[in-house]
Amino acid sequence: MIVFIMRRLVISFFVLLAATFIIYGLTALAGDPLEDLRQDNSPNKAQKIAERSERMQLDLPIPLRYLNWLGNLGRGYLGVNRDGQDVATMLADALSATLQLVLAATVLAITVGIVIGITSALRQYSGFDYTVTFAAFVCFSLPLFWVAVMLKQYMAIEFNNWLKDPVIPPTVIGVLALLGGLVFGALAVGERRRRLAAFGIGLLVSGTLFTVLSATRWFAAPGLGLPLILAFGLAAAVGFTALAAGLQYRGPLYAALGAAVIGALSSQVLKPLLVDPTWLEIGGLLLLTVAVCAGLGHALGGLQRRQAITATVLTGVFTGGMVFLDRMLQAFPAYSASVRGRPISTIGARTPNYVGDFWQTNLDSAGHLLLPSLALILISLATYTRYSRASMLEVMNQDYVRTARAKGLPERTVVVKHAFRNGLIPITTLMAFDFAGVIGGAVVTETVFGWRGMGFLFTKGLNEVDPGPVMAFFLVTGTAIVVCNMIADILYAYLDPRIRLS
Amino acid sequence: MTLSAQAPGPDTGAAQGMTIVARTQAQMVRRRFFRHRAALAGMIIFGFVLLLSFSSIGFLGIPGWWDKSYLATGALVNQGKPTLSVVPEFLGGSGIGLGEHPFGQDDIGVDYFAKTMRGAQQSIIVAFLVAIVATSVGTLIGAVAGYYRGKTESVLMRFTDVMITIPVLVIAAVIGRRFGDSGVVLLGTFIGLVIWPSMARLLRGEFLSLREKEFVEAARALGTPARRIIFRHILPNTVGVIIVAATLSVANAVLLESALSFLGLGVQAPDTSLGQLINEYRTAMVTRPWLFWWPGIFIIAIALSINFIGDGLRDAFDPRQTRVRA
Amino acid sequence: MTTPPNVPLEPHAVDPHAFDNPVTGASQLLDSAEEVHVGLTLDAVRPPSEEEILTVENLTVEFPTEDGLVHAVRGVSYTLREREVLGIVGESGSGKSVSSLAVMGLLPKSARVKGRILFRGDDMLKMSARRQRGLRGRKIAMVFQDPMTALNPVHTIGDQLAEAVLAHELMPRKTALARAKEMLDLVGIPQAEARLRSYPHEFSGGMRQRAMIAMAVINNPDVIIADEPTTALDVTVQAQILEKLLEVKDAVNAAIVLITHDLGVIAGMAHRVLVMYAGRPVELGDTDSVFEEPRMPYTAGLLGSIPSLDKGSGSARLRPIKGTPPSLINLPTGCPFSPRCPLATDVCRTEEPPLAETDGGGHYAACHHWDRLAAAEDPTEFFRTESETVA
Repeated sequence: MIVFIMRRLVISFFVLLAATFIIYGLTALAGDPLEDLRQDNSPNKAQKIAERSERMQLDLPIPLRYLNWLGNLGRGYLGVNRDGQDVATMLADALSATLQLVLAATVLAITVGIVIGITSALRQYSGFDYTVTFAAFVCFSLPLFWVAVMLKQYMAIEFNNWLKDPVIPPTVIGVLALLGGLVFGALAVGERRRRLAAFGIGLLVSGTLFTVLSATRWFAAPGLGLPLILAFGLAAAVGFTALAAGLQYRGPLYAALGAAVIGALSSQVLKPLLVDPTWLEIGGLLLLTVAVCAGLGHALGGLQRRQAITATVLTGVFTGGMVFLDRMLQAFPAYSASVRGRPISTIGARTPNYVGDFWQTNLDSAGHLLLPSLALILISLATYTRYSRASMLEVMNQDYVRTARAKGLPERTVVVKHAFRNGLIPITTLMAFDFAGVIGGAVVTETVFGWRGMGFLFTKGLNEVDPGPVMAFFLVTGTAIVVCNMIADILYAYLDPRIRLS
Repeated sequence: MTLSAQAPGPDTGAAQGMTIVARTQAQMVRRRFFRHRAALAGMIIFGFVLLLSFSSIGFLGIPGWWDKSYLATGALVNQGKPTLSVVPEFLGGSGIGLGEHPFGQDDIGVDYFAKTMRGAQQSIIVAFLVAIVATSVGTLIGAVAGYYRGKTESVLMRFTDVMITIPVLVIAAVIGRRFGDSGVVLLGTFIGLVIWPSMARLLRGEFLSLREKEFVEAARALGTPARRIIFRHILPNTVGVIIVAATLSVANAVLLESALSFLGLGVQAPDTSLGQLINEYRTAMVTRPWLFWWPGIFIIAIALSINFIGDGLRDAFDPRQTRVRA
Repeated sequence: MTTPPNVPLEPHAVDPHAFDNPVTGASQLLDSAEEVHVGLTLDAVRPPSEEEILTVENLTVEFPTEDGLVHAVRGVSYTLREREVLGIVGESGSGKSVSSLAVMGLLPKSARVKGRILFRGDDMLKMSARRQRGLRGRKIAMVFQDPMTALNPVHTIGDQLAEAVLAHELMPRKTALARAKEMLDLVGIPQAEARLRSYPHEFSGGMRQRAMIAMAVINNPDVIIADEPTTALDVTVQAQILEKLLEVKDAVNAAIVLITHDLGVIAGMAHRVLVMYAGRPVELGDTDSVFEEPRMPYTAGLLGSIPSLDKGSGSARLRPIKGTPPSLINLPTGCPFSPRCPLATDVCRTEEPPLAETDGGGHYAACHHWDRLAAAEDPTEFFRTESETVA
């Protein structure tokens, strides 16, 4: 395995090296780096041209310039751009913004995409399946920049306007309720009566929900509160137990329910700590949650100890997440006021010079991240949905799934243990491919949303025929793609024991 | 939409080719394709867009039926708003008709219908060129690498790896910046020359498995030259894969071209493309939203219809898939 | 009877041991195998009792496809007694696998299943899904054709065996694993303890099929359905696996439904045999009686199309059945075998004969002209080829 990884690393290194040469050459050939100066009418035009030619070594042939750049890189120096700014400094600023965006989009796309894809596969030929399939095709065909501009207009500007008086008009509530009913109805399979019942329930639930949200002006001062945290936690406990252990035995269920109760109660006990925590403290709390839940599952799990621990830990982490969300939402009114009532931002990665507590700064990042990641994940989401659906359908038809059923295993075990694990294997290979696409998409998204990130570095460098920043961009993204490939390979080997030997 | 499923049971007649009527491959493909309703709809929509964009403003000097040019300015009619009306009079609308400027006018009074049509033409041309060039290059490289294996394969595939490491948009942007203003033909060809790697990988995989098949062994045993085996024996068997991938790459190329033009790295003014139009008027979203909507709708219509056609072809060419009427 | 039935229908699946000497009776077939390895014969295991544990009544299975409705199984009925081995033979597409998958409740959702499947008097088709699942793997277990694909590649053998136990009984994992080890010992996998931690790809084909058998019997089932358990295996391994199946069956006191296209396997393994053609049972009876006195031309044709190494015998030449099986979508009217049948008359082409009792006790056949077969000296003579006639 280690030999395999090392070999891949060495090959990747040379592949990257070759790619840098191609990019460098193409960028340098892409135009005339002195174009703007040639049209300059200032008296010191000749001096400016000479200065820049000197800085960019325009007297040298391109391969030599490349070698110089490579030599500098070997010494850890990224050079300067054509105006003499240090590329490494520019890169450092750009990196964190883009990293946030790309990571958020990728993680969201993978999790949501796989969940939707698998549901769609398990509900093949249902209304849900058809809708998802159609939606995926639409997502594939949407121009990213167009979506981004639309989101900016309707999701940000108009939504912010609406937040000033967050009352949902009755017609909109009607439409939302209808949508909710359709989603429920589409997920149900079987006879017409069952589907109609599901539609009715969905209609009622979402109708009531939005009416209450509107009447209480929830959006102006959102939050969950202890009862809701507890309710969500308990629901999650039942869900995770059903998924991990099945509901016919009590041990795992009690452990998971216990985790939800403890989680909800400790949010009250820990109140002082949660006023303005640091990420380190949050991480510590997360570890503590996992440890407590694992212990709980171990103690109450009985003969189904393993499954109990899984269900309990998942419930604990979910409840913790709810507490976190609740805190964030509670900070919303204060944050909203501090940004003049425009919480969904359309420009940049953060509000310049913003000072606030832990929750408010997080809200600030979230508000800036929301729309760009939404635009960015559409295509990846569609890709992951389609692939996991296809992969799951393929796996569900395999002989070993039939064997699992022949053993008399419950459908839950057949799907989770036998099908899901195998269905994930081809998706890991997709990860590496998709990541390259997301980086390309980030360039466009950053342009629309005015982020001064890696994409900006790249397009500006390219338009100025300035290889320095372009190369810095490529070094980061190229390495990221190689690393992503590596992770995909390792995951693949972890999921598929047949690979481990060779 | 893929409504396809595996053959229902391990022992059913259909799965074992027990149907009496033998159909040729082409007949089967055609039959399955036309049963794919989404693909059929895609084909009609794409055909309509193609016909509309090329017949309306004409092409290569041949005049079309639309009398306004995408370059000439005119007096503002109706404040530049679209005059297209689809609501008939008896429903309280102004009747079905195109009006003077069906898609409105831009800020200097150019007819936006003509402009959008020109953009659609250019986008379609670039997309098809990209697909044709990428498919040919990718097929050739993949076929050679897959058939010869050994050193040839390593060299070609490492080269492919290098190209894949660079995100497509990035390398296309570099190309677009250089060739964006030298006409769509050159732009399309050069973008095609950089996005072939995924095609090459696909074809290599196909060749790797096909070269081990008995009919190839037989051809080799008869002393058939390698070139003949590649082009006469193996390639015809990959035609389904190639057609499907080529179709889907057209859809991707439409989106790639418009993204490039949007970044200002593709087609340059005064010539236009759908992405370039959106880029030009993206700040007009609030004041003149139609300048933003029309090109977007056309991009989506083209990409979506081609994607559906590709999906229909994929189902039609995949012999494993029998659709179940459930 | 002069044609030895000890060789399979399909030449590639020939068991070399079966060629050793030509035998006529079913029980003697395994005698020849015994020369190679000491093993069990059907006579050596406990005989079946009279109690019926599985009864299939008028089972039909249909699949809707885009080409039309596939009538995969059209009215299959049989009973299985305790400890009995019932062989089901037929070509691919005859409905033998589909009917057994229907018994297991493993058909895809699109399948339309009708009829009754009684396990100890309870109709499995009317049971709740949960009760049906409780029987599956615990009372009725299945061994599949291809051990290469029937085991999950990402889980260990021990895990896959243990979960078969845990699916029906709550117990510590350790106990389940100990039971799994016991079973691996039983099916003759060496170093069972260590092998529990192996993955399927680390096993040979024969070992995997042994593991599949271990998985099938781990809950002491009453019925084992073995769907072509040796077809995917090397010929040298086939006999070992069949013998192991018999041994294990005796150990857990189970009955077996053995599905195969290999007449040699049936001859050595089954008490009774059911012959299927185009989704229907066409002959049913004691193995000896069916093989020696076939009462349905299709069975006779099967017996005649087996290659023989019996050089001394005059009928050693092959007498293949002409034509191919009919489409299960557009079935011909009348007897589905009539287009290929040398005995066919007008009534065969208009009227499908029911499965009815013939001359022997408990020997059923679906043929209008079974009496003509009974009258013939060599039942395969109707399939004589033209060259043979000329000579």
